[in-house]
Amino acid sequence: MIPDVFSPEDVGESRIWLKEFTFVRGRHYLVEAASGSGKSSMCSFIYRNRSDYRGSIGFDGRDAKSLSADEISDLRCHNIALLPQELRLFGQLTAIDNVRIKNKLTGYCSEKQIIEMFGRLGIADKINRPASLLSIGQMQRVALIRALCQPFDFIFLDEPVSHLDENNNRIVASLIYETAEAQNASIIATSVGNQLLLPTDNINHIRL
Amino acid sequence: MISTLLRKNISAWQLAAYSVACLVGLSILLISINFYADIRSAQSQDRQPGNYIVLSKPVSLLAALGGSPSASNSFSPAEIEDLASQPWVRRIGEFTSADFNISAAVEFAGRGLSTALFFESLPDEFVDTDLDQWHFDPASKEIPILVPKDYLALYNYGFAASRGMPQLSESLIKQIPIRIAVAGNGHYDVFPARIAGLSSRLNTIAVPDSFMTWANSYYGDKNDVRQPARLIVELSSPGDPAAARWISDNNLDSSDNNAASGKAVYLASVVSAVVGTIGVVIAALSVLILLLSMFLLVQKNSGKIRDLTLLGYRRSQVAAFYDRLIIIINCAVTTGAIITCILVSRLWTGILKEFGVDGNNTILIVLAAAAIMGAVTVISVASCRKMIKKASR
Repeated sequence: MIPDVFSPEDVGESRIWLKEFTFVRGRHYLVEAASGSGKSSMCSFIYRNRSDYRGSIGFDGRDAKSLSADEISDLRCHNIALLPQELRLFGQLTAIDNVRIKNKLTGYCSEKQIIEMFGRLGIADKINRPASLLSIGQMQRVALIRALCQPFDFIFLDEPVSHLDENNNRIVASLIYETAEAQNASIIATSVGNQLLLPTDNINHIRL
Repeated sequence: MISTLLRKNISAWQLAAYSVACLVGLSILLISINFYADIRSAQSQDRQPGNYIVLSKPVSLLAALGGSPSASNSFSPAEIEDLASQPWVRRIGEFTSADFNISAAVEFAGRGLSTALFFESLPDEFVDTDLDQWHFDPASKEIPILVPKDYLALYNYGFAASRGMPQLSESLIKQIPIRIAVAGNGHYDVFPARIAGLSSRLNTIAVPDSFMTWANSYYGDKNDVRQPARLIVELSSPGDPAAARWISDNNLDSSDNNAASGKAVYLASVVSAVVGTIGVVIAALSVLILLLSMFLLVQKNSGKIRDLTLLGYRRSQVAAFYDRLIIIINCAVTTGAIITCILVSRLWTGILKEFGVDGNNTILIVLAAAAIMGAVTVISVASCRKMIKKASR
């Protein structure tokens, strides 16, 4: 697989572009790459909000391009979670409403669990603040809680800690790790250097 | 929560403009439908004969001087076929005249009256009397007769007044026993008869077709096959100028003494069609406003719609918000237009009531409004879904 805008010379030593690669459920992956090498594109291709690539993506052998709009919606509610790099919070809604709008769809977490997660990530006092008034680091954590409010087999985290210090990085990483392990799910996190500090050695490091 | 999110960019002005324009257009349309239905029912309840004309050929000088009347004055099968093919003709009935001698005798108020008479018959569906009474039974031998209303007036105000005879009411004249003597083909018989009804449509003395067929074969000359000299035509649209043009082009006489009312109905139909068209145009333009306003709304919200689908919302769940918006507005507009139409129609129902016409078209109006706005809603919802599909990609 390769994005439409890439030429074969652009990909260099990549393990994913122009190769066959399988993300296996239960294993965790840290995808390391320089800016502009297509991390966000990879996440978008797999999450099915972009399809400007050549090659194919398969879910358990089924070609992703054959999925209908409703099947993609179901996939996003039950199988694949995504924390996009640009976060995509609704600025006019409060922090907790941004989480609720997802949780209303999946019904996965209780209100109490959501508030606990806010507390654990140290933003409990920002619950009722409009998302547009939060700092980027705070937004990043709200968006993460939103991404965790659903069952998933794989969670794609596009630079999840780019605006967090090491301490917060570890808190975020342990929350993600616990949630994923509880469902025997895979974590796939990208970074340009500031890696997610997962509390485990069961990690595949991949160069994109 | 979706509605709080998507409500943000709704332009109250655009939706209000649509509501007002659509309300005006739909009201005008409904009012014209209501008006049309009223004048139509006025026409049918009034039993206006404007629907019917009787055609005959003008009597030529030659025929008047004793030439063969059947040759020049009757309609040939080709001529009848040509007439039947005209778009303004719904049905044609042929008059059959009696091929035997008839005389009638009446006895009332102590005096006897006797006169030579003529009969014509025409198909039962053209006869404007109670059809239960309108048949001839050879066993009872009683002949029902239909007489023009004008004859009763002639008698009451002309004959009876000058001769000092009693005037007759419509119900009384039906009670008078009449004896009809029929002669021809070597037979002579006397039948009892009664006046079954008074016709404002037919300018003849009519008997049932069944009697005429039987009597013509019994008393008449079997070898004499005659073509009808008069035709009754039911018009598909009363007062249609095309009919008058065709009749004068073919040099025929028509007894359309009620043409004025037919013309009035025709003109009123044209007026309501024109007004209705204006209503349709306004309503159609208002639907364009709605679609444009929805398009702008979806455009402004396209980022949010895209983000919602990224969260896993289905397009139909997002579209439900817009569907609800359209349905609520359209229901309000429909109700408003129905109420407006009913209120406005009160302006003329009073006048119609004075004519004895009870024009109550509420059900028709409600159905028409529901059908029109149902279609508008379906179109708006469908195109809104299309816009959302585009925005969510």
